[in-house]
Amino acid sequence: MLTLFTAIQSRPVEARVEEAQVVAQLVRRCASGDSVAWEEIVQRFHRRIYNICYRFAGSADDAQDLTQEVFIKVYRTVGSFDGEKASFGTWVTTVTRNLLVDHFRKTRNDRATDSMDAVMGADEDGPTLADRLAGDVESPQAHVESRERREMVHRALLQISPDLREAVILRDLQDLDYREIAQVLKVPEGTVKSRINRGRAELARLLQRTYRQAL
Amino acid sequence: MLGETKPGTQCAEFDALLTDAIDGNLTGERRERFEQHRADCAACSTLFAEASSGAAWLSELEEMEAPRNLMHNILAATSEAAKAAAKAERDPSAWERLLKQTRMVFAPVLTPRFGMSMGMAFFSITLVLNMAQIKITDLTPHNLSHTFYSSQNKVMKYYENMRLVYEIESRVRDLRNATDEKQQNQQNQPNQRQEKNQTREQNQNSEPERRQLHEYTREQNVQVLALLNGKDESLGILAKQRRQI
Repeated sequence: MLTLFTAIQSRPVEARVEEAQVVAQLVRRCASGDSVAWEEIVQRFHRRIYNICYRFAGSADDAQDLTQEVFIKVYRTVGSFDGEKASFGTWVTTVTRNLLVDHFRKTRNDRATDSMDAVMGADEDGPTLADRLAGDVESPQAHVESRERREMVHRALLQISPDLREAVILRDLQDLDYREIAQVLKVPEGTVKSRINRGRAELARLLQRTYRQAL
Repeated sequence: MLGETKPGTQCAEFDALLTDAIDGNLTGERRERFEQHRADCAACSTLFAEASSGAAWLSELEEMEAPRNLMHNILAATSEAAKAAAKAERDPSAWERLLKQTRMVFAPVLTPRFGMSMGMAFFSITLVLNMAQIKITDLTPHNLSHTFYSSQNKVMKYYENMRLVYEIESRVRDLRNATDEKQQNQQNQPNQRQEKNQTREQNQNSEPERRQLHEYTREQNVQVLALLNGKDESLGILAKQRRQI
């Protein structure tokens, strides 16, 4: 958290402004049909969009499909982007968020049986998260432990309610400031802060409960 | 959660400052108030601990590397979408063609002026119907036929009544005329007798002329009778008589 915060703070304001201007120019070129500009936009934003999708949907395959959908939608509607209302990054994040909410509603029934005992990763025959936390599967190397811990947090993140999850993802994983998050979620800044607090607290409680069950 | 165990303005303020506190942006008097409330309120203290812990856990998550082929797939998908859009623009579907043709046919009608006229016409008709106290339900075929026949009956009755009135009037007039004539006749009877006598005298004076006329007529009749008996002969006789004359 501290690392993340330092990274946000260390980014110079001038650099961000300059980047926003470059992106705005790219968007204008793209809207007039410049395919090179479009490639540049995809290059700049695809990783960010993929991460949001992955953290929200939980699956790499779903995230890849959703990222493609987001860019198709952005490509079709880039002409309607108004640079005076918000930055292009915020606009793309809003498009992503709306698509993810739709995806969440469509797949609600599929996730009804999900739990912390769900099988981790792509290996369906592998151990459950609880098994790993209990230490039934030995992982001698430190980086493997670290990977497992991240996976555990990722799974816990998927358990919290979507309203809180999206706020937490945008703040803690995407480095958006509260004003930008308020624009994306279309709620006041106070609500954003409250949701972030509750989301973080709920995540911590989930992880503590998992630890207690494992022990 | 917050405010549920100990609601109040201080807890709400604590919640508002919590993100700034975790971000490390809280300083001075605000930080003192925050820390004071955290020490006093167990619920807010728990919330601070949980939120800080959650934020720490989330900081473990690193940014994921996107799959290598993702960008290529995105560009391929968007170029296909662009091609599909261009194709749809070039080759409209049957439905779009039909829609376009329909629009072309109705283009003169689908104008603001026509819409305004239609609106005015509708308004006028509605106004007239309201003034005449006609409901929309009155305009059904059944109600219209009912109205037609009842109106026809009224007209027929009115006509019959008028006819009766005129007939009575004419009878009364006839009776009055008959009475007047009778009275006049009674007054004029002596005069008529005198006139009759005078007429008789005149007839006697003109008797020879009438006889001559009568004989002449009889001769003519003879000729005509001859004429009727034989057409060719009578024509000859008639010609002879004319020559003799």
